[in-house]
Amino acid sequence: MSRFGEIIESSSTVFTAQCYHLYEGPPLGALVWAGTGPRTIGVVCNITTGTLDPGRRIVPRGAQEESEEEVYQSHPQLARLLATHIQAVIVGHMEGEAVRQYLPPAPPRIHAFVYACTPEETAAFTHHFDFLRLVTDAKDIAADEVLAACLRSAAACHPDPADFLLRAGKALALELTDDVPRLNAILRRVRP
Amino acid sequence: MSLDLDATAAQIEALAAQLRSEGQGSAARLAAIVAAAQASDYAGINSKAEASAGLTFFSPAEPLEPLGARHDPPPLPPDFRVLAVDGSHIDVDRHLPARCYLINLGACVLTYGSRPDAVLSSRPRLYASEDELYLADPASPTNRMAVEGPILGLVRTVQEAEHLAEIAAQQNDTLPTLALIDGSLILWQLAGRDFQGEQRFVRERLLRQGFLRALDTLQSLSHPDGSGLALAAYISLPRSTEVMSTLRLALCPYDRADCRGVCAQEHPGERPCDPVQGFVDREVFAHTLGPGQRSALFRTRSSIVRDEYGPHQVCFFYLNAGEEMARVEMPAWVAEDPERLALVHALTLDQARRGQGYPTAVQEAHEQAVVSGADRELFRQLLEEALEGQGLAVYTSEKRLSKLRRIV
Repeated sequence: MSRFGEIIESSSTVFTAQCYHLYEGPPLGALVWAGTGPRTIGVVCNITTGTLDPGRRIVPRGAQEESEEEVYQSHPQLARLLATHIQAVIVGHMEGEAVRQYLPPAPPRIHAFVYACTPEETAAFTHHFDFLRLVTDAKDIAADEVLAACLRSAAACHPDPADFLLRAGKALALELTDDVPRLNAILRRVRP
Repeated sequence: MSLDLDATAAQIEALAAQLRSEGQGSAARLAAIVAAAQASDYAGINSKAEASAGLTFFSPAEPLEPLGARHDPPPLPPDFRVLAVDGSHIDVDRHLPARCYLINLGACVLTYGSRPDAVLSSRPRLYASEDELYLADPASPTNRMAVEGPILGLVRTVQEAEHLAEIAAQQNDTLPTLALIDGSLILWQLAGRDFQGEQRFVRERLLRQGFLRALDTLQSLSHPDGSGLALAAYISLPRSTEVMSTLRLALCPYDRADCRGVCAQEHPGERPCDPVQGFVDREVFAHTLGPGQRSALFRTRSSIVRDEYGPHQVCFFYLNAGEEMARVEMPAWVAEDPERLALVHALTLDQARRGQGYPTAVQEAHEQAVVSGADRELFRQLLEEALEGQGLAVYTSEKRLSKLRRIV
């Protein structure tokens, strides 16, 4: 996948990218990066697909079709009128090889290209766990689900996934000492 | 003050009651018309039309097959393409600080079958030079007509046809293709006497050198295998009465339909052909055509088409498109080719079905073209900013300002 879209909304804590192709964006919890100079790193926290024109209503079109795929084949304009957007919560930035798990001085610019992190980049960024707090503290997102999804997918990028999850669990326990039920809920979601 | 809705609603109720009482007698009349249509001899009607040329108050369409003919939709080709162009414009506005107009053309290319694809585009263009703001008579350049209002609408129609031809020319494969125009192929606005005297050059420029030249290009885009491009114009909720006029001939008991002679003294409603009075073509076909069926093919006898359109004589049929009865027009070179005629029937119906009542390609071209109220306001702001940026005076009328202020 690598480069999959461009930023259309940007702030210090979150950015939104529009995918170049309908439904072709990284999954929930995936690490993505954008921008030149310091590369802003985000975790996909929300995925939406809808019409590009807010004045137009989407209507059912498949009553006579056998499959969902046929709906899109019978109405090829849909791929041009609908778009998938991903929202990412910013969890740090990278300057060369240096990993900074805190907010960058400036958010990525509008139209910055957005890339899915490679397994190597994901492993490098998640070597430390200071970024966890940026996700657990994020407002208006399903933070626990996003974090669990992020840890599950990052685990697969490390040579010893079980060891990674154990270390992540310990780091998370320190972040959520006051909220054991929440900690347990997240840990249940990352258990292999 | 806003509209007094109480007073208006009472008048609307009265109108609805009047329409209901008028409608009660019309069903029986319509049944009689349908029966007359199905029993009529179309060759006889055409002979009578020729014998009555210049004597009738109406302009009957020429049926090219029996009036009661109905055709089931032909099968769709496995792979095909539909093109459509639509336009929108911002008219010259004397309340704006500069004399100019904008035409936005929207285009849609939809490919169906094994390799479905869609290309949507729009092309805005601003016109402000002297030769764009006026159409001038080449023989007498001081005789000119401002491009605004209805004339701008016609300029836009010509540009839509030219853009459709451009887009059709860009398709470099041999897929069966339908190019769709929204509305009529007949530029009725140029048919009047206004464009026959001193203003004749307007008709020449917009019709012969504009619209019909674009049709020439579309006609020339034939595929090497002879299948060619089909061109059609789709009219939703048509109000045409040309076929009703044909039925007047069928109902006329005289050898020649001589409205000016034999029936000159009759009052409306008393003539033998008056049962068709008040009906439009689509109402009759709504009674005869099954879902997906098309009517007989007709050729228009309107004078502007006969005099100006040459090889593009306009033929049409009515189509039961499911949600409504549409009128589908096409030039003679499409109507006379059974393959292209079948393509028009199959693809216009398929487009209406995919678009849930109205052709998808035309809908999407319209969506690309449309200039919203907010866009118009932004356009005005951009224009003012650009003029200010060049150090030019920006002014507007007090009338416009008063509408914005709306002071009490």
